[in-house]
Amino acid sequence: MDNMHLVLQSLISGISIGCVYGLIGIGFCVIYNASGIVNFAQGAFVMLGGMVTYVLIERFQMPYVVAALGAIVVTGFVGACVERLVVRPLWNRSAPMFVMILATLAAQIVIERLTYILVDDQPKTLPAFSDLPPIMLGGVAINFQSLWIMAGSVLIVVALGLFFKTTRTGKAMRAVSINAEAAALQGIPVSLMLTLAFVLSAMLGALAGILLTPTQYTAFNMGVPFAISGFIAAIIGGFGRPLGAFLGGIALGLIQAMAILGLGAGFKNVAALSLLLLFLFVRPSGLLGSTR
Amino acid sequence: MVSEQASPRSRHFASAGIWVLAALIVGYALVFGGYIATIVAFALIYGVFVSGLNIFMGLTAQVSFGQSAFAAIGGYTSAVLTTTYEWAPLPGMLAGIVFALLFALVIGFPTLRLKGHYLAMATLAIGLITYEIAVEWESVTQGYMGISGIPPLGIGPFEAISDRQILATLSVIVVIVAFAVTRIRKSRLGRAFAAVAGSEEAAGALGINVARYKLTSFLLAAGLASIAGSLFVHVVGYVSPEVFGMHMVVLAFTMVYIGGLGTVAGPVIGALIVSLLPELFRGMRDSQDLAYGITLILILIYAPKGLAGLAQSFDARRGK
Repeated sequence: MDNMHLVLQSLISGISIGCVYGLIGIGFCVIYNASGIVNFAQGAFVMLGGMVTYVLIERFQMPYVVAALGAIVVTGFVGACVERLVVRPLWNRSAPMFVMILATLAAQIVIERLTYILVDDQPKTLPAFSDLPPIMLGGVAINFQSLWIMAGSVLIVVALGLFFKTTRTGKAMRAVSINAEAAALQGIPVSLMLTLAFVLSAMLGALAGILLTPTQYTAFNMGVPFAISGFIAAIIGGFGRPLGAFLGGIALGLIQAMAILGLGAGFKNVAALSLLLLFLFVRPSGLLGSTR
Repeated sequence: MVSEQASPRSRHFASAGIWVLAALIVGYALVFGGYIATIVAFALIYGVFVSGLNIFMGLTAQVSFGQSAFAAIGGYTSAVLTTTYEWAPLPGMLAGIVFALLFALVIGFPTLRLKGHYLAMATLAIGLITYEIAVEWESVTQGYMGISGIPPLGIGPFEAISDRQILATLSVIVVIVAFAVTRIRKSRLGRAFAAVAGSEEAAGALGINVARYKLTSFLLAAGLASIAGSLFVHVVGYVSPEVFGMHMVVLAFTMVYIGGLGTVAGPVIGALIVSLLPELFRGMRDSQDLAYGITLILILIYAPKGLAGLAQSFDARRGK
């Protein structure tokens, strides 16, 4: 019976971390849909979310909520910088795809290293959002932060859906993703939408980082693993489908949780990466994608 | 073409200059020895690794972020065979190449069907999986501890122990590799690579077996990466997973882009310059990766052809 509880408990933590992977995956989709670019610096945004919040609390004594909002704004600004300083110049020179990938990967390293120099290399964690004991559900202890993560993620996904469906800007971004030239002819500022996509995606990444950091830790070099998990989530969901990416993230979280139970924590990354390869080789259009 | 009429010597003036510069750097290190010799030795090892990457990326226009996997296979095979099993370095290195090629063959079939972002991510994943395995498979790799006491390079009674001997051996290897790449580029194989690079569809329509040539290119790159891995562990005498991490990939890409993608001299001069640059800014140990990242972005934006590419276009203009 205890074993059963352990399994259920790790499945629940798998779902909650999966929600975060999903958010990161959506971040990939937002940029990909707006531009066809896969932004390999996505993980840096997640790292910055937790890291900037930590710094604002510890060094500037800001209250938690203010610090978190500050981190989202700062990360959004970094997103705009990545777009303006790295992606835009290459975009204007119509650089080949892998040059773009390489440049965003280099941007990831620049952000990582700047964080290392400006802060330090120690792992950081944030306090849980609410100081409450775990909820017991028939012997299964549910961490309160896991609930925050799940509720927060669902809320963010719904808000994002509403943004794309109802607001003028959201609709304009969707128009650009469907056909950039036609959108330009309608008077939509396509280039501005690309910047906006990076800002939005960076803020999403920051949110994911803020939700995640209290349960784990963050460090300057945590970006790449986060980005890879998010990318796997996006692939499972069929690249470019935000909702698919979210569900893909949950699937990945569950599989990782089972891998940790079965094989030990050391192999969770190998399990996730193998899942990525499996999907790329067998079904690159994802679970929800059509077999094009 | 007008440039075709210029004499070959004047046509390749600047490109030859790149080789002269590389030879001067290596010559300086050979004469003065010491610390600079160590730096140049690493640069030459990277020259081998990056030459392989260049075959796959420069000549065939594919992308792999996971070449470090093959360097790791070569390096660890050499390390384990020469320490635990007391093999000689050369058979150990050959075994490493065999393992790397087998792995490249198995992984290449499904991976090379992928294109664009999927290819990039799949190869990145392969590199990271190899790194994780090097960390976790402690019974063989000793995890983060690493394997030490690896014997120096050598054949029979000859061993490369001093800085100069190592440097001379590596220089010979780099020259052989560069010569081989030159030959490949001009051969039927190289023309097929160029056709695949130009357009896979067009190459296929011309009767070129695109999948097979992509795999061949991948295997060549993997073999050179494996040799570089083996050379590294013998020169340093120690190996740990960190050697084959993301750092290696970024460094190699910076080298190939600074030197010039698709050229023969590019990887060699790129490796030398990128290795020597941090020595000019000694104080900034912490910010080395930062400098690499920024340099790489700037090169990608403003000089995507690299030094050897610039030299080539300079020669082309002179020829007119």
